[in-house]
Amino acid sequence: MSGWKVAAGLVLVATTLHQAPVFAHRAEHKPVVARPVMDYTPPAAGSYTLHVIQSMPDGRVVDAGGRTRPFAEYTRGRITLLSLIYTYCTEPTGCALAYETQVDLRKRIVADPALHGRAQFVSLSFDPLNDKPETMRLYGGKNARADGPLPWHFLTTSSVKALKPILDGLGQEIEVEVDARGKPTRTISHMLKLFLIDREGRVREIYSTDFLHPEAMLNDIKTLVMEEDGQRH
Amino acid sequence: MSIRLERTKVAAIGAFAAMAVAGAALADETCNSPYTTRLIKGQEDYVHVWTLGVDGLGDGSDKLVTVDVNPKSKGYGKVVHTLPVGGRGEAHHMGFTDDRKFLWAGGLDDSKIHVFDVGTDPSKPKLVKTIADLPQKTGFVGPHTFYAMPGRMLIQALSNNKDHGGVTGIAVYNNKGEFVAKYDMPATEIGGAKGDGYGYDLAINPKKNVLLTSSFTGWNNYMMDMGKMVKDAEAMKRFGTTMAAWDLKAMKPKQVFSVPGSPLEIRWSLNPKDNWAVTATALTSKIWLIKPDGKGGWQAKDVATIGDPSKIPLPVDISISADGKGLWVNTFMDGMTRYFDLTNPEAPKEVYSKNTGKQVNMISQSWDGKRVYITSSLLANWDKKGEDNEQFLALFDWNGKELKEKWRVDFNKEKLGRAHHMKFSAKPAAKKAAAAESVRVAAAR
Repeated sequence: MSGWKVAAGLVLVATTLHQAPVFAHRAEHKPVVARPVMDYTPPAAGSYTLHVIQSMPDGRVVDAGGRTRPFAEYTRGRITLLSLIYTYCTEPTGCALAYETQVDLRKRIVADPALHGRAQFVSLSFDPLNDKPETMRLYGGKNARADGPLPWHFLTTSSVKALKPILDGLGQEIEVEVDARGKPTRTISHMLKLFLIDREGRVREIYSTDFLHPEAMLNDIKTLVMEEDGQRH
Repeated sequence: MSIRLERTKVAAIGAFAAMAVAGAALADETCNSPYTTRLIKGQEDYVHVWTLGVDGLGDGSDKLVTVDVNPKSKGYGKVVHTLPVGGRGEAHHMGFTDDRKFLWAGGLDDSKIHVFDVGTDPSKPKLVKTIADLPQKTGFVGPHTFYAMPGRMLIQALSNNKDHGGVTGIAVYNNKGEFVAKYDMPATEIGGAKGDGYGYDLAINPKKNVLLTSSFTGWNNYMMDMGKMVKDAEAMKRFGTTMAAWDLKAMKPKQVFSVPGSPLEIRWSLNPKDNWAVTATALTSKIWLIKPDGKGGWQAKDVATIGDPSKIPLPVDISISADGKGLWVNTFMDGMTRYFDLTNPEAPKEVYSKNTGKQVNMISQSWDGKRVYITSSLLANWDKKGEDNEQFLALFDWNGKELKEKWRVDFNKEKLGRAHHMKFSAKPAAKKAAAAESVRVAAAR
């Protein structure tokens, strides 16, 4: 389906945002976050099935140390929560919300020893020209680590060309906004989506803004853990 | 954050409609999935009408008809594009994908799902895919409601491929058009009422993790001549009499409600403070309210009468205002468009009515409620005959007191077919700039 292609606006990311100032550090940049209302008790982990929605695309990414690796190294072998972000995004219901949701969820996972070593987070930039490995490392701050109970990888790509097949495969379109004179701004429009991926590299849940409920997301991760362990209610 | 007209944007080559920045809107022109982005709160530019082909009329094919509805346009009120899909499959309803780039349109007879690209250039939709494996994958036929979720589509079917009765279910396909899962409608007693296994519409309240479903009838009935059907006592027994509340995350029915008379469209109040929905029953001509029961569950209540139920006016579509304070109701048989004051959802009150056609079916309002669009066709075999078989898309202005007709496209005269479901679209705000920029960038590579 042609719509599965990423917007060609991506080209503009490559050509218009490269001079944007590099993001300094999240500590200096605390965007407002608008959390979605959650007024329910989520179903118990393991009491429901997360069907396979789609497979994960292949590609090559660059880690915070500057090493180019197969994307599959970060989306297989553990349960993965993938977010697509750019470091200077300030949208209250966008990247900032994704980050804060992951921070919240991270605390819940770290507090549950049964989940240690079973999951990982990945934050992948869709602005490879601004978000260099060093930028991603600074963006992740103390959360950026490849070890511990919950590794959190902050990744970018070497180029728009390297990024495009990943976004195509995920169905994530982006656009660059322009100002009233038609000049590209530093705002990238995108529909916020986080992807929950099983250890086989299959997408089992997709969260947009209204679905970013950490308690329910934790149960989803536990559900996949129980599935791996052959435990079902 | 998601008002199209508030931003100027670069779009992709070929151009895209403006979209929300990183997040789904609460709702979409009052009736679509809360997960659909690119909410149009300003002036819509086009109305796409999923139109049933009529043998001997024009090309005879089901088609997507695009009408220019921007009053500043030269083509205002005119058909600017038609896209036949080949053959007649009982075109019925449509729904946008979560990114609003694609419009999925179903056929109740052939069970095909046509996927139109309306994001690249909404003035010239393109058919990019036809999904034809719904019966094979699910056993369901008659895809009716298309309801976006992130990366996928919920599809409420009306019937099944075994006996073509009303027992059916919900299918899930990903945005690529690949089958994901299926769920049967409840057919056992759950929460005090017994499910009938029937389906019609579905609608989600994300903050409550609740999916509501309603119930209609199967292929045997909706493909039967209406005059014949109403004389068939057994056939008239085969209409849905229930609604169900599901745990959305688990996709499991938690409660079944007895709602006699075939509850059809479901509309949640769009007011963030509200947690209630309404529906209208086709055969009993009632408005029902679905709201929390105070015990952690939900309840369904008969709260109003539409017209004179003894005359079976047949309420067929409803449209709720963005503030949840008003509800349009179209009744097919008498061609009436009625407005109910929903200020107190426990006691909706009819405050206005107008005859808008010899037969009227779908009704869709703009986000600001100032424009109301109406179409005429219910089902090919249920539409009226002869002179009463008007087929049209009509626009009315609503000033809070009166509907004033602006224009009407005669689908018979234009040799288009039977006008059924409508969806709005908008031009990319910076299409020219975007296209020029994209070309420049492409040339520079």
